[in-house]
Amino acid sequence: MLKLHNLSKVYRSDEVETVALNSINIEIEQGEFVAIMGPSGCGKSTLLNIVGMLDSPSSGEYIFMDEDVAGYSEAQLSEIRKHNIGFIFQSFNLIDELTVEENIELALLYHNIPASERKARVAKVMDKVGIAHRASHMPSQLSGGQQQRVAVARAVVGDQAMILADEPTGNLDSAHGQEVMEMLQSLNEEGTTIVMVTHSPAHADYARRTINLFDGHVVTENLRAAE
Amino acid sequence: MIRHYLKIAGRAMARNKLFSFLNMAGLAIGLAAFILITLFVHNEFSWDDHWQRSEDIYRVEGTITFPVREDRPTPNAPGPVKDLLEQSFSGVEAIARHIVYPTTVKVGETLYAQQVIHADNGFMDFWNVPLLAGDSGQALSDPSGVIISERLARTYFTNTVALTDVLGSTISVNIQGQMKMFRITGVAKNPADTTHAPMDMIVRFNRQNFDGARWFSDGWRSNPWKTYIRVAPDVDVAAMEAELPKLLEAAMPPAAADQDPARRRGLVLDLRAVGDIHLYGNDSSADVSSLYGMLAIAFLILLIAVINFLNLSMARVAYRSREVAVRKVVGAGNTQIMQQFLGESVLFAFVSLLLALVMVEVSLPYYNAFLNAVIEIDFLAEPLVLVLILLLGLGVGLSAGSFHALYFAYLKPGEVLYNNSSDNPGGSFFRKVLVVGQFTIAIALMTVAVFVNRQIEYASRVDLGFDDQNLLVVSGVTADVSDTFKQTLLSSPFISAVGRSSDVPTEGSEDRLQILPNAGGEKVTLDGLPIGPDFFSVYNIPLAAGRYLTNAEPDILRSRLEEGEYRGAANILINAAGAKVLGFDTPEAAVGYVGQVNLSTSLAFEGRIVGIVQDFHFDSLRSAIRPGVYYVDQMRIPDMTLRIDSKNRDAAISVLEEAWREFFPSDLLAYREMTQMVEDQYQLDMRLGTMLTGFTILAFVISCLGLYGLAAFMIERRTREIGIRKVLGAAVPDIMGLLLWQFSKPILIAILIAGPFAFLFLQDWLQAFAYRIDLTLLPFIGVCSATLMIGWVTVFGHVLAVSRKPPITAIRYE
Repeated sequence: MLKLHNLSKVYRSDEVETVALNSINIEIEQGEFVAIMGPSGCGKSTLLNIVGMLDSPSSGEYIFMDEDVAGYSEAQLSEIRKHNIGFIFQSFNLIDELTVEENIELALLYHNIPASERKARVAKVMDKVGIAHRASHMPSQLSGGQQQRVAVARAVVGDQAMILADEPTGNLDSAHGQEVMEMLQSLNEEGTTIVMVTHSPAHADYARRTINLFDGHVVTENLRAAE
Repeated sequence: MIRHYLKIAGRAMARNKLFSFLNMAGLAIGLAAFILITLFVHNEFSWDDHWQRSEDIYRVEGTITFPVREDRPTPNAPGPVKDLLEQSFSGVEAIARHIVYPTTVKVGETLYAQQVIHADNGFMDFWNVPLLAGDSGQALSDPSGVIISERLARTYFTNTVALTDVLGSTISVNIQGQMKMFRITGVAKNPADTTHAPMDMIVRFNRQNFDGARWFSDGWRSNPWKTYIRVAPDVDVAAMEAELPKLLEAAMPPAAADQDPARRRGLVLDLRAVGDIHLYGNDSSADVSSLYGMLAIAFLILLIAVINFLNLSMARVAYRSREVAVRKVVGAGNTQIMQQFLGESVLFAFVSLLLALVMVEVSLPYYNAFLNAVIEIDFLAEPLVLVLILLLGLGVGLSAGSFHALYFAYLKPGEVLYNNSSDNPGGSFFRKVLVVGQFTIAIALMTVAVFVNRQIEYASRVDLGFDDQNLLVVSGVTADVSDTFKQTLLSSPFISAVGRSSDVPTEGSEDRLQILPNAGGEKVTLDGLPIGPDFFSVYNIPLAAGRYLTNAEPDILRSRLEEGEYRGAANILINAAGAKVLGFDTPEAAVGYVGQVNLSTSLAFEGRIVGIVQDFHFDSLRSAIRPGVYYVDQMRIPDMTLRIDSKNRDAAISVLEEAWREFFPSDLLAYREMTQMVEDQYQLDMRLGTMLTGFTILAFVISCLGLYGLAAFMIERRTREIGIRKVLGAAVPDIMGLLLWQFSKPILIAILIAGPFAFLFLQDWLQAFAYRIDLTLLPFIGVCSATLMIGWVTVFGHVLAVSRKPPITAIRYE
């Protein structure tokens, strides 16, 4: 699915140079569920940003589906991103002015899909995440768990091959957190590649593989023992 | 997709009502002001464009040049010009000419004042005057036929139902002192409001009517005709105009040796496009530069409104960056984001435009009354105006939305989505620049408005040098009855004095006389004014030295009894300014001076100065008092000024009316009040001043709307900072002081920029006034303090609220 080779990211301001990622080498296969762990400031989010093509690496290679996208322009990255990658955020990032249904539909809006088909797909995915009864609610009327379910629905409605989740349970209580993790797990079982940043070892256990980052380096990679 | 954009735009608007209201109100007010001003200016520039092929019609305007007097521009041309043009230029398709003859019309027993058009052949075809009743081909074929406009028909025959009923009725027109009967043969559509030549009453020109009229001749001596030509579409009119001097020289007879030298004169002809007559014609009183000034104000106000919009939108960028980031994450490209936000602000602009049009529609009646104009918006009649207004909305929307649309288009989604604080990264410096720009314009406008109004006020208090109260001016008193008419008036106890002159104050004098100065050398020029000896007493103009003129023979330059011959010597008066240019240190020194006075290059008399009057205003009050010379000329004093008893004004007027009916039975009495004539001099300036004040207030309102909104957002963003300051020990007054100082800074910078611009402009503007105020700093300081106060009042509510919040709410804010 993707391969990072000697990938580095350096932030420069006038006086300070901060190395966020230092010669990272990671390979992720299609259909994998990977958790990324590490203390605050270790580069998890930077890594996720680069994998999600929201940011570009300073050096190194990023092979995504057999293409080196490291030097691609923003427009090219945007094109690849919108067809392949879905995002889930800790703070949900739903649009306050749009209803549940409209928030999910947003992910199809830029895909040239006719309105009727959009409606059908949104309805299907709402059923799947169990939010259909809230279709015309505004995000502010939902609980955190419900909001994150909407976000999950938005991430997968475009049939994305890979989902990047940045602490998807960080703002949720344990019950709702569990719920979201199970949802991710079932998506993974259906073949979606999932890369998740988390602080919770319990939630990391859902993943088949855990990558530990520290100060911009990959420290360890643990494969979960096959059950 | 568009539906989606509309939906989110509408919901975003509704979610932040204050922001939406401020934004929309500011833009709508700005647009309304812009539309109102440009409508008026457009109206002024579009006079006389309604004639068929108006772009090919030109008026031939003659300027009479004199060897010693100032040139006299007129809207007219002499009779032979018609043949000359016809024969010399093949590009001239048609010529029409008429005489505008102000006179009295009698319908039944009622007298009306009316301008009658005496139309030469071809008039009806040339102007294509549409008749509502009657046959336009036949209406003037009868020399006693008359065409009147619909509005005259309704005035004269009040119970008219069908216009055809009026046909055949008779009216009498006073032509050269004789009442002539005319039969109504046509009723024309009312003339347009925006024409220099309202054609309300048209009769056929009949040469015999004007036999013996001194102002009319068939030759080059007089210029009675309004002459219009229509040229073929591709004719080079400038080239035609360039040929005219040569043609005139060949055609005009050389001055004969026995011609009255005072009348020896030259002629310059100009071809004035009919559309330019209102603003640039020889008889135009329009002030084109103030029209451009108003246009500049219109654009400045629009600019303020757009800046306002930009500013409030930029302030709100943080509130929608999350949305933009999410959109980008799910695949929106830069162009799509740009389209969305440009579309949103265009939508916003159009809603504001609609609001503005409502405001315009509501205020138009008052605006028209104030400007004395007939402006209307009629999209059906003028689809171009609709197109322009739509373009205006589009342009304003695109420019107002450009900055935040661009900002969003290049927003990096990662920065927003992984950063939970909704910091506003860019644009705060830019926003300050915008606020400074907005207040710079507002302060400059206010400074200009204050000084312009002060100047107008000052000018209206200028010492006229004469007493303008309780004076009535009656014109057209013929020399033969002048004395008896005067005596009749004076026999009334309500009329205390009567004075005569060729012109009256505020009108200025056309005559330029040349007098040898005390020290000899080159002759100097003084304005000449023929008067009766009674002139100075009626105006209460005091003497500076010597005595007034009397009816004694040595004081008379030309007597009514001597058949228009000037005498070789006469006593004269001058004013104090005249004494100065003649080289006398004091008025007293000038008494008794005898010098040659030239009425023209070849006509002179020996003038003995017997008195010097104090300076008084005779020309426009904008100009300085000119040196003047006054002499008794009984042939040229048709203006009669009456000093009436203020307590018995009405009685005095009825005495005048009665006497007038007795002496001039077929002329309608027209009198003017001197106070009004003086006031008319300021009217244009006063209107300008009032407009300037009004639109300046609008500019301030818009700027303050912006500042208010901005304060709300800025203070919200700084709640946390203020909390920390309070935790560290800052008291409420400290916080308030800090915030007020921060809001004052952009205003103070704006003052520094606006001041020099306003002063430079005013310095230039004031040059046109001979009597002007000093550009002192005090009023400017007043403007600046007022602006600061307005600014403080605008933000005070927000500042107070945030300063008093307990620090814990502030710190918990994020």
